[in-house]
Amino acid sequence: MSTPDLLQTALLLGVYVALAGLYGLFYAIARLATAPLIRGAAAFAGTLHVLMGAVVVLWTPLGTPWKGLIVASSAAVLVIPPLTWRLLQRSHETEIEG
Amino acid sequence: MYRSQVLALKYFSAAMALFGVMVLAGLLAACYYIHPDLLFGILHFNIAKILHIDTMIIWLLMGFMGALYWFLPEEFGRELAGIAAAEALFYVFCAAVAVVAIVFIFVQYGGANEATLWFINQGRKYVEAPRWAAIGVVVIMAVFAYNIIGTAYASRKITGITAVLMVDLVPLLALYLIAFPAISNMSTDLFWWWWLVHLWVEATWEVLIGCIMALTLMRLLGTPRRIVEMWLYIEVALVLGTGILGLGHHYFWIGTPAYWLAIGGFFSALEPLPLLGMVVHAVYDAGTHRMKTTNKPAFYWMMAEAFGNFLGGGVWGFMITLPQVNLYAHGTQWTVSHGHFAFWGAYASGVVSVIYLVVQKVRGAAELDGALWKWSFAALNIGLIGMVGALLVSGFAQAFVERAIGGSTHEAFIAGQENPWFVQGMIMRVIFGLIFAAGYAALMWDLLTIGKRAPVPAAVAVAAE
Amino acid sequence: MHVDDPAFWRAGAISTVLVMSVVLIMLTIDTLGAISAGSARVPAYAVINRHIDYKFDAKRGNDVPVITASEPFFGKAWEAAAAEALIEQGKLVIQSRACMDCHTFFGNGAYYAPDLTKAWLDPAWETWQAITGKPTREEAMAAFLMNPEMYRTWTRTMPNLGLTEPEAVATVAYLKWMAAVDSNGFPPNFGRMQKK
Repeated sequence: MSTPDLLQTALLLGVYVALAGLYGLFYAIARLATAPLIRGAAAFAGTLHVLMGAVVVLWTPLGTPWKGLIVASSAAVLVIPPLTWRLLQRSHETEIEG
Repeated sequence: MYRSQVLALKYFSAAMALFGVMVLAGLLAACYYIHPDLLFGILHFNIAKILHIDTMIIWLLMGFMGALYWFLPEEFGRELAGIAAAEALFYVFCAAVAVVAIVFIFVQYGGANEATLWFINQGRKYVEAPRWAAIGVVVIMAVFAYNIIGTAYASRKITGITAVLMVDLVPLLALYLIAFPAISNMSTDLFWWWWLVHLWVEATWEVLIGCIMALTLMRLLGTPRRIVEMWLYIEVALVLGTGILGLGHHYFWIGTPAYWLAIGGFFSALEPLPLLGMVVHAVYDAGTHRMKTTNKPAFYWMMAEAFGNFLGGGVWGFMITLPQVNLYAHGTQWTVSHGHFAFWGAYASGVVSVIYLVVQKVRGAAELDGALWKWSFAALNIGLIGMVGALLVSGFAQAFVERAIGGSTHEAFIAGQENPWFVQGMIMRVIFGLIFAAGYAALMWDLLTIGKRAPVPAAVAVAAE
Repeated sequence: MHVDDPAFWRAGAISTVLVMSVVLIMLTIDTLGAISAGSARVPAYAVINRHIDYKFDAKRGNDVPVITASEPFFGKAWEAAAAEALIEQGKLVIQSRACMDCHTFFGNGAYYAPDLTKAWLDPAWETWQAITGKPTREEAMAAFLMNPEMYRTWTRTMPNLGLTEPEAVATVAYLKWMAAVDSNGFPPNFGRMQKK
């Protein structure tokens, strides 16, 4: 990998995961607070994360299988916060009922 | 208090003392980068580093043991089996650590023979302690396992948490046996060595801290047992589901077959996903309790654990885990940046959280809050993040100058180390290390005093104004 | 099995761990065979009697060790058993002096001193050999290891770790053997300066 490619790829990958975390963070806060601003922030972070994934796929010298992994990871990232939240709510409700 | 809980307090004290030794050794090690002739001929970088990383492993292990010695009598509803042996072994443990450290500092090396490995230095990273001490660790951990498993048997009571814990203890102990052999073939040596290091810190330790956090959450937030157990199983499935074969990310360059690049890269790329779930879970816990808790420091350190684990392990790890990047980042200060962040986020924060929880119980304080814990929280985390950032800058410079451009030779190494960005990073690391050290001092003072300062009843406070 | 039931997740945890562990064990068995000394990836210790080079393999896309003609090592040819004894001794040196707490081997260890994976092949020895006044590379390396403080290469000086001559010879043998291990191209671009 050339030097600029190395920097770009590593930084993109780091920002990619950091944005996944921000999306998860804001998603969870948005479920607690009512401010539409926070829901907007979650959507923004999630969109940026997907965009970062697209940049990794289009502009890094990673091989196709790795790019496929990035795409699949983004799908998982988008789904994990809502799934986690729903499961948390269900498990706590079941506990109260139980 | 159960005898086991009295022992827990001793383990916490020893853990925090060793944390201090770790900080001092770390500051010393960092100084060699700035002043290479420091203590030349007296004490060299490798000894300072050994003290730094080995005390880290031991203080965290002692923290885990303290946490479990505290929680488990309540979990089993009785005193732990074999507690007398455990009480005696605590002092043996402390004495052994002291002897090993003294030999590291004053003897340092021996000849290339078995006697050196048995009595002075084994020279394998994290497990440099001589074999006699390694045997001691095995005995202590075996008794610890008996304290738990023996009690489960005697009380005929096993909960989900204790079941996971007991199953986890088996590989935890078995893996430590890898600390003993001296294998000539470096590829084979490193292959097994990584079983120990990775399957400790990215597998069995994750389960261990998961059990401890489950026990903590039940007390800190009153979370029902059924819920923490369910989430413990989910965590075990996801963390071990990605982490067991994620071990392969240490098998890219040690002579092992190339299929490890695909396997290791793939599974370790998935490792951040469960940590993302943990962040969401942490916010849920914080939010549903409106950030209200009778133990602010324990709560905040637990939040730091969830976020630090994601950032240090997940984000920093993901940057360097794909083999295409790792080829340049491997064995540079970039690795050091990740290592400091991940250990702090995944383990140290959790241990500090538990200690605050226990301090509240021991001192009978209705509420634990104050100014000093906030200062130490800020200084420790700012210090740590500052060190991590500095090391990242140095790591980038090193990866480019030494590896990508320089041709990875001895001259390229020197060019990387002398690069202005690298040097700046090393200086900033010392500065933030000093901030971290100040945070440690504040933490120690706070742990010694918090909860003892009796809160002034509201009526009196108003009358005084 | 219901997602609200902890038993469902417990079953998931147990089956996941079992499956992953079985796969790891199978891969371990295969890998241990592939990295035993004398395999295609990890040469027999008698490779110290051969000339070692490191060349780019276009098919694999990385550098690979190339083992060619016989050459004397410390002036002689070492029988297999003697070579193995040297390597065993060399590893004991590396452990007894805690080399891994300053240097890296295959990138593993500490980062204060250079990586030693290809130290045997380092172009710097062409200059350093002359400084030591020794006729061969291995003798120059051994001389350095016995008195590193006498051969300062830059501001970070390697300390004297009290290596005896047999220990130094064994260590050099170890470094030569290690340079012949196929490390999937680590370290990258070895010996080739790139344009920025």
